[in-house]
Amino acid sequence: MNRLSSYNWKKILLRWEYALVLILIIEILIFGAINPRFLRVNVLLGSINDYVSICIIALFGTIVMITGGIDISGGSIVGLTSMVLGLLWQDMSMSIWLALALSLFTGILCGALNGFLIAYIGVQAMVVTLGGMFLYHGLAVVLSSLSVSSAYEGISGFPREFIMIAGGKFMGILPNPFIIFIVMAILAFVLLHKTRYGRSVFLVGVNPNAADYSGINHRFIKMSTYMLSGFAASVAGVILTSYLGSSRADFGNELTMPIITAVVLGGTAITGGKGSIIGTALAAIVIGILRFGLQMSGLTTQYLDIPVGMLLVIVVAIRGTMSFMKFPKLFVKKMNN
Amino acid sequence: MNRFLLLLTNTRELFTVGFLAILFMVTGIINSDFLSIGNLVLIFNGSVIYILLAIGVSFVILTGDIDVSVGAILGLTAAVSATIIRDGGSLFFAFAVTIGIGALVGLINGMGVTKLRIPAIIMTLGTTGIVRGSVYVYTKGKWVENLPSDFKSYGQISLFGLVNVFLLITVLIVIALHFYLKRGRSGKYYSAVGDNLNGAVLVGIPVDWIRISAFVLSGIFAALAGIVFASKIGFVTPTAGSGYEMKAIAACVLGGISLAGGVGSVIGAMFGAIIMSSISRILVFLKFSSNLDHTITGVLLLVIVVFDALIQQQLKEKARRERLAAKDLRAKKAYEEQEEATNE
Repeated sequence: MNRLSSYNWKKILLRWEYALVLILIIEILIFGAINPRFLRVNVLLGSINDYVSICIIALFGTIVMITGGIDISGGSIVGLTSMVLGLLWQDMSMSIWLALALSLFTGILCGALNGFLIAYIGVQAMVVTLGGMFLYHGLAVVLSSLSVSSAYEGISGFPREFIMIAGGKFMGILPNPFIIFIVMAILAFVLLHKTRYGRSVFLVGVNPNAADYSGINHRFIKMSTYMLSGFAASVAGVILTSYLGSSRADFGNELTMPIITAVVLGGTAITGGKGSIIGTALAAIVIGILRFGLQMSGLTTQYLDIPVGMLLVIVVAIRGTMSFMKFPKLFVKKMNN
Repeated sequence: MNRFLLLLTNTRELFTVGFLAILFMVTGIINSDFLSIGNLVLIFNGSVIYILLAIGVSFVILTGDIDVSVGAILGLTAAVSATIIRDGGSLFFAFAVTIGIGALVGLINGMGVTKLRIPAIIMTLGTTGIVRGSVYVYTKGKWVENLPSDFKSYGQISLFGLVNVFLLITVLIVIALHFYLKRGRSGKYYSAVGDNLNGAVLVGIPVDWIRISAFVLSGIFAALAGIVFASKIGFVTPTAGSGYEMKAIAACVLGGISLAGGVGSVIGAMFGAIIMSSISRILVFLKFSSNLDHTITGVLLLVIVVFDALIQQQLKEKARRERLAAKDLRAKKAYEEQEEATNE
């Protein structure tokens, strides 16, 4: 009994999410010591505007990765969504809300194309989303050339209500993007960890054949995860467009790497079958705060790739070797209990 | 029909070459200026950087891994070599240093993937960040400009007024590598490792060493591409080469190399790279906007991989049916023999 409780205690303490929380706290303390302005609640909460797209796309990228796939087309879908939104509003003179709905639909459509080719035709996820990355970015560029505004300036002058989607604050304190992120995180968490759908996602990741034999339509499950990921990318696109007040084709181009970094740092296995939404959400915030904090301590933004890259490699290496060495021991304990 | 399908999968690079020829021919029919010698020379000479990157990456993909750090390596080596040349260093020294950098990053990638068991995409993603950041640290975010004109003129030296020196050397390297990979003893190890890792271990192939050397080769070729980049473009920005890694991977896929590993050749990668870099020029000659560049690349990639997947499925299905039929035949034969035995 004693051993059992100590085992549980250890298991809880060794959970990766707690390590991430610890890293986050250390980060905030260090940056706070360097620049006290960093610790203001306003600044800390406001910082999320800079990296909310990474957070939101990574949440649903996690679900894709759990099925054993990968989605690197998210960044391009951000740009495409932004262009569709701007073009429908300005050049087709649609109502902004209809344009918003249609642009969200675009993301789902892009995800559906990815998912269809991966799940039903059987092409590797990496190749399809690589092609998708070129295709969607290319379409965004084509759309921007169709618009009357020049591609360099982008489409701007959106109505105030639309700008307030990202610019506004909920109850005067919390920035709206933060609220949207929390809502999306809860949505993803419930979907993945609390529903039957989520269980099938994990099963498909562990063993698609077993999933098939147990009556799960593994092809549809796979396809739907890419649709969710596409949807998340277009939500990020809408937020970015609203926050910056303009729509341009090259939005989100630099997001691919940080997104995958966040997902993997959050404890998701790239081979599938393992991962958690809370982990990804925390990891995305860790990365975001790291970039933001380094920026506030006076480093130029260009250097930021170094610490993020190192964090990624070191964490994955440590986690890999730790689980590698610890696995037999845990296994033995489990057997004894 | 089935033999045709089999031929198609066995000679995937031929398929790519054929596709390239048809692409050029169709463009030539619509706009005859396209097939002029001068234009073709421009196209082939312009694709050297992509070819170098693609053949490097093709080694890694052949072994079943992936390398997304080549764009960053290109950026760093271009900046370093340009700085050395600008400050009066010799070309040989620049070559030695950049190739050393490329090999070192490749070695780190390889060690991480094989010894620390970090998935290749994550490891190379991490080194991408570190290397790209180093470019900014090294150049302090400034452009490297004012390169001596004789360094820049290397990009213009050509044989018989046609073939660029870089291109000639690159093509010779590709041919040599092709024979090494297809005929050489250790060359075949690369695709063996990619085809079946555990099987390769069992037959005694030094798997870790092969995978590490693939990453090192990829780094070295990216470094060579970096020098060519500095010489051809004439200046180096801190963002030089970002996004090239995806184009290199796309070139490999276009050239018939399977991302699952074990299938493909460097010749295919070369022609894939030529297709990649000629698309925007073809669009201009067809009087389309070159804005369509990325769209066409994406569609082309998707169509080719879907086509490939369908063929593979059909072949697999056929093999399965043959196996089943053979089983039936065996069962029937055994039954008949038994019948005969009882009759006697």
